[in-house]
Amino acid sequence: MNSMINESSSATTLRDNADVAKVLGRTYSAGFITDIEMTGLPPGLDEGTVRAISAIKGEPEWMTEWRLQAFHHWLTMPQPDWAKVKLDPIDYQAISYYAAPKAKPKSLDEVDPALLETYEKLGVPLHERAALAGVAVDAVFDSVSVGTTFRKQLAEAGVLFCSMSEAIREYPEIVRKYLGSVVPGGDNFFAALNSAVFSDGSFVFIPKGVRCPMELSTYFRINAQNTGQFERTLIVAEEGAHVSYLEGCTAPKRDENQLHAAVVELVALEGAQIKYSTVQNWYPGDENGVGGIYNFVTKRGDCRGDDSKICWTQVETGSAITWKYPSVVLRGDRAVGEFYSVALTHHFQQADTGTKMIHLGKHTKSKIVSKGISAGRSSNSYRGLVKMEKSAEGARNYTQCDSLLIGKKCGAHTFPYMEVKNPTAIVEHEATTSKISDDQMFYCRARGIGEEDAVSMIVDGFCKQVFRELPMEFAVEAKKLLEVSLEGAVG
Amino acid sequence: MNQPVSTPLVESLLEAPLAPSGIAWLDAARQENLAAFAASGLPDTHVEAWKYTALRMLGQRRFVALDMAAPASTVDAASLALPGVDGPRLVFVNGMFRAELSQVGNLPEGLTLQPLSQALAGDAEPLRFSLSRHYREPGDAFARINAARARDGVVLRVAAHVEITRPVHLVFIAAATEMDLAWHARNVIELGEGARLNLVEQHLASGEPTQLATLVSEIEVREGARLQLTVLQNAATSTHLIRHSGLRLQAQAQATLHVLELGGALVRHDLKVELIGDGAQLLTRGVFMPHGRQHIDTQLAIRHQALDTTSDSSWRGVANDRGRGVFRGAIMVAPGADGSDANLSNKNLLLSPSAEIDTKPELEIYADEVKAAHGATVGQLDERSLFYLRSRGIPLAEARALLTAAFCRAVLADLPNEALREHLSTLLVEQLPNT
Amino acid sequence: MLKIENLHARVAGKEILKGLDLSINAGEVHAIMGPNGAGKSTLGNVLCGRDGYEVTDGTVSYNGMDLLTMAPEARAATGVFLAFQYPVEIPGVNNTYFLRAALNAQRKTRGEKELDSMQFLKLVREKLKVMQISDELLHRAVNEGFSGGEKKRNEIFQMAVLEPKLAILDETDSGLDIDALKQVAQGVNTLRSPDRAFLMITHYQRLLDYVVPDFVHVLADGRIVESGDKSLALKLEEHGYAGLAERHPAGVGA
Repeated sequence: MNSMINESSSATTLRDNADVAKVLGRTYSAGFITDIEMTGLPPGLDEGTVRAISAIKGEPEWMTEWRLQAFHHWLTMPQPDWAKVKLDPIDYQAISYYAAPKAKPKSLDEVDPALLETYEKLGVPLHERAALAGVAVDAVFDSVSVGTTFRKQLAEAGVLFCSMSEAIREYPEIVRKYLGSVVPGGDNFFAALNSAVFSDGSFVFIPKGVRCPMELSTYFRINAQNTGQFERTLIVAEEGAHVSYLEGCTAPKRDENQLHAAVVELVALEGAQIKYSTVQNWYPGDENGVGGIYNFVTKRGDCRGDDSKICWTQVETGSAITWKYPSVVLRGDRAVGEFYSVALTHHFQQADTGTKMIHLGKHTKSKIVSKGISAGRSSNSYRGLVKMEKSAEGARNYTQCDSLLIGKKCGAHTFPYMEVKNPTAIVEHEATTSKISDDQMFYCRARGIGEEDAVSMIVDGFCKQVFRELPMEFAVEAKKLLEVSLEGAVG
Repeated sequence: MNQPVSTPLVESLLEAPLAPSGIAWLDAARQENLAAFAASGLPDTHVEAWKYTALRMLGQRRFVALDMAAPASTVDAASLALPGVDGPRLVFVNGMFRAELSQVGNLPEGLTLQPLSQALAGDAEPLRFSLSRHYREPGDAFARINAARARDGVVLRVAAHVEITRPVHLVFIAAATEMDLAWHARNVIELGEGARLNLVEQHLASGEPTQLATLVSEIEVREGARLQLTVLQNAATSTHLIRHSGLRLQAQAQATLHVLELGGALVRHDLKVELIGDGAQLLTRGVFMPHGRQHIDTQLAIRHQALDTTSDSSWRGVANDRGRGVFRGAIMVAPGADGSDANLSNKNLLLSPSAEIDTKPELEIYADEVKAAHGATVGQLDERSLFYLRSRGIPLAEARALLTAAFCRAVLADLPNEALREHLSTLLVEQLPNT
Repeated sequence: MLKIENLHARVAGKEILKGLDLSINAGEVHAIMGPNGAGKSTLGNVLCGRDGYEVTDGTVSYNGMDLLTMAPEARAATGVFLAFQYPVEIPGVNNTYFLRAALNAQRKTRGEKELDSMQFLKLVREKLKVMQISDELLHRAVNEGFSGGEKKRNEIFQMAVLEPKLAILDETDSGLDIDALKQVAQGVNTLRSPDRAFLMITHYQRLLDYVVPDFVHVLADGRIVESGDKSLALKLEEHGYAGLAERHPAGVGA
């Protein structure tokens, strides 16, 4: 199961997989660790690359075929250019699609002091800092033990939670049924690329009627290193099941990858509820716009059953470029889709993010709350689609998009699309753009609150509706994250 | 971008050679625009501005370019009068000026009003800037073919500090001909500093002409000038009408626009307003009411490019039968355009299960001392209002009709010309279904 | 405590204060009255350091410090408080949270220990009782959706918690009905103490029925034109502000 943690460290892997096998009452088969994996693949992408990745992962043939199909589709697609972002051309042949695990720093002494300083500011607990910074030894051992405890509890509840690689081997029937059923292999350029070459990711399966006994967050937070730049996540909640999943962490991760193209698929059957929260703080590049991650992500949920609910909450402060539209297809009657987003850009960051709510079922409801904050020379766009299909009898949507500008050189943009084909549906959209008012600033300062604190207080208030949707502990960290991200934005 | 597909429509529009005008710069501009049209062809729905208006069907049809005027007997000059519009009138039939239908008479001092065909026969130099324009955006195909092919239209100038009190009436009539006709008209309108003008543009049909008509208007409103423009589009439901209006407002200039889109088969209006001078003010109001199989697409783009500019836009859509209404309301505030205040609202009613509304308000903001907001809704009549009326004894159908009419009429509230407002209001109500 | 000498200030290029002199000692309550446009609110904003109010001449000395060079938050930390005429709404920022942040920022600047949430809550409870304010206000965002009266009472409540040395009340009485006015006045009276001074800016005399001032000054055309005791307020009530311009500047008040 911990192939997500560190596939190459065979001692740990074996021990841990054995643990998992015990818990799940299955036999562990270890044949999948190969020498190729240790060295990684050279840069370049062709059919052979896709086959090699599949082979490294020890995947069944249907999986290899699935990847190849996506790859062939990808070859026919142009890179999309409609988002409001400027980027240098990406040379897809210059990327290594399966990197050998990076040499990890042996102790915190070897970690970039700037990174540690940020952890300090964010108040990340000491024992987590090492793990976040990618320090190999103690932290990982520590997290393994933590992880094991959680896993035991989850297994007792019948929840399957493991890496995607393992899921493909252990639960092929479930994966085969749902993988690509929400985001098809050829869905869009980056999703197709991901489908062809994804390295790993998470798999969650909550059986019928089960409420997941914990937030699937702490575990992931410690284990989310080296899932690679092409991450694939699949969460399935069967009838009546509930799960809350938190992705990412509030501290910047040590990562040299330039391009991240992840895919996340959520499936909610009748009466199921999935809450997916993201705090994204990948490396945004420096204050001159040099470096930083391209974060091109496809996230989509399918409210497949009646009365199901999917809620996306995201706090996006990192990455040089973010291109991301977590969406919900409201297929079942009375299904509910929600999207709460805070996107903050500073320096030269560019974010083009939003959501799609596709209403098919009767009396489906969706709510969108998006808060964009632009500072420095950054560009921040909300892009969203609300679609009421003919069948969406009595469906409703409410959208609120607010943008806050800090400084004169940034841009804040709103591009909502509304397509309505049912006369009983109601769609409402409101958007505002403004800066922090001088009156608000003066009021705070006249009460003794300094300028920087006043700004973060007002920004925090501006984002309140979204933070409220985050699990408690992460709301606190998200708030701190905004403060850190906004440093130097005023004045 | 894919290679343009040459469709029967594109071929037919390119068929006739360009007749030389005798004006070198004009012929050059026409040639270039024609070449650009030939190179680009028609935009497909991947072009953002045409996302909701597919030209596949239209692209398969052929329209002939004919400088043939429709028989005069089909148009009755007396029927052209509009209440509250008693100024000079210029009438164009199938894109060509018709003196016998027009009433130019003695023009007030400071007003120049003549057909483009005549203006070009005289001193064409003042038109050079407007007529040499190139339309470069991917969605501008029809503006390009218009720039290449338009032979007639309106040239209107109001001298500085002149107030034209009586509304000027421009009428564009599509009259049925034997063959399916394509015609193109082009207006050049200019208000000098501090000038005032009340202008009414009307589109009408005589018979059921199957036509493709394009109209490009370039309107310059100079410092401190005020323009009141009312557009009544009542084309035949067999006419494809594609308009491109470009307004530029200089410092302290004010423009108030009222647009009623009632007729047409495929109707498209690109309305681009640039607030290029400090303190320029824009107010736009519009209503589009697609019914039957009509497709009405309005693309409003407002650019705040100077200090302390304001824009206030409110558009309403009512779609019935298999009608489809498309609206884009884009507000852009350029870097440094501090003090801009922009507001846009688009509310829509869907009256039938086969009707569709696609709306897309946009904000693109590059300055921070800005107030910008937009809102859009698609839905039905307010249940509480409906109930209130019924509780007072008004039957459901009547209550609906009443509220729908009120919904549409709201866009006329700011129209100062009372007689015209009443007339337009009646037209709106007539267009509504008797639910 | 406060000594204003020859204060000239401009707003948007227009001279509003034209040589204002005023002295206030600890424990005193001063009222500044005057017609609209006399510069009353400008005075309050200048004293608290609002942007856009340009001081072109004169000095303001507060407990020996040059107040005009200090940032607004620094002035607040030294005990200057402005009860706003139009308190601004700050969506999403909880009222209690805001107040605690303000108090602790001030205490930190003064080198005092910050209050933890328990201590702060205790303080707030005490003050609530005194101010007769429902604690429902505390759970809402700063001024958001407050009625006019609630906003003004919230200002007085903030004053009670922050315990300033010099409280400037800018038209705190405007827009209040008589019951709300009484409540506000009672709040102010509770806070009167020998080491605290008040400067009440008001257009009407009626607040002064409930908060009796030690001194009344008339501000007209950017200067103090007359000073006296509370009887001056009554006189103004009777005769109005007409004819003020002709009076001689009264020089230093108090």
